[in-house]
Amino acid sequence: MSKSESLASGKDFIDTMAGISDAHDLFAVRHARKKVVDATQASQQLFFSETVDGLSVAERYIVAWYTSLLSKAPSLAGEYRRQLHQHAVSDDVLMAVEFDRVADVSDTRMRAILTFTRILVLDPKAGDQQALLNLKAAGLSTPAVVFLAQLIGYLSYQLRLVAGLQAMKALEEAK
Amino acid sequence: MSQAPIRINGFTNEVLDWKAWLDIVDLEQATPKQIEVLEMSHPQAKQQDYYRFLVHQPEVLLQRSEAYNAIMYAPGGLARADRELGAMVVSVINGCPYCVSVHAQRFEQLAKRTDSVEQVFTEPRTAGVNDREKAISHFATKVTESPESLGPADIQALKDQGLSEAEILDLLHTTSIFAWANRLMLNLGHAEAKA
Repeated sequence: MSKSESLASGKDFIDTMAGISDAHDLFAVRHARKKVVDATQASQQLFFSETVDGLSVAERYIVAWYTSLLSKAPSLAGEYRRQLHQHAVSDDVLMAVEFDRVADVSDTRMRAILTFTRILVLDPKAGDQQALLNLKAAGLSTPAVVFLAQLIGYLSYQLRLVAGLQAMKALEEAK
Repeated sequence: MSQAPIRINGFTNEVLDWKAWLDIVDLEQATPKQIEVLEMSHPQAKQQDYYRFLVHQPEVLLQRSEAYNAIMYAPGGLARADRELGAMVVSVINGCPYCVSVHAQRFEQLAKRTDSVEQVFTEPRTAGVNDREKAISHFATKVTESPESLGPADIQALKDQGLSEAEILDLLHTTSIFAWANRLMLNLGHAEAKA
């Protein structure tokens, strides 16, 4: 489903990913928390909008795809992989992400971004100042570092929200 | 604080400081947009490294703060003390002493007791003074450690403790957004004792 079709039916990105529609009681429960729904959807649009500087849009989708794969979130991984078809990304980056072999990436900037992503997703305690200095050394500005950390944080929130909503939906459908 | 501080497993309910690892925004040089976003994010945001670092990206911080404040402070639904319990469990599992200290203090203010705080510091996965709190801790643990394995039985377990669908959603929002909050606090700077 395209973004415009989703919004026309009253469904936002999270509804679409969790597979919920106004046929579910859960839809009304979720949309009763309007401020949360609106801020979450606005975040989704902002993080992939070209108007915000920091990372290229292709880099953001690679980070999103990698985060979803590492977190075993198949519906999100599928969506972000589809988005990547619209961007030029080298085969060595696509292979490295798909098989979780970040050290194989030849581009210094991309390797630094993916290395940071892996730690933040899988072992957030393992982060240190050196990880940020590595990003700066690879050419990211401080605002770009902030953007990357916020993006991975947002995705960590999003994938849990989708997984929980899928569980709530499954219980509703079982009744 | 009148009582002795709680210190267990590297966590404390004492007030901590947080210092950024890279350059923060100088308030003298900040744009009007940056000042506006700082003022809506937190009452003391201008004095805190955390917000002055995140405000390098004001639009992103704005949406994060809107989502966070709506999740943690919205009226109705799950009791605010229960939201703080969820936040505390997630923060202990992720190993974020700064987040833990803030939300331990909030829990104490709301619940007027510290027994659950000591339990969460000691073993977050099974913490709780009753079955309802234990169910909240169990759910928060699963959201944090293995969200891919969440299923209908996890939701039913909360319903069995009397949580409504809307309360379960509030708990899901809370525990999910702490995956976000903890990652920022842990990876952009460090906690230290208050000067």
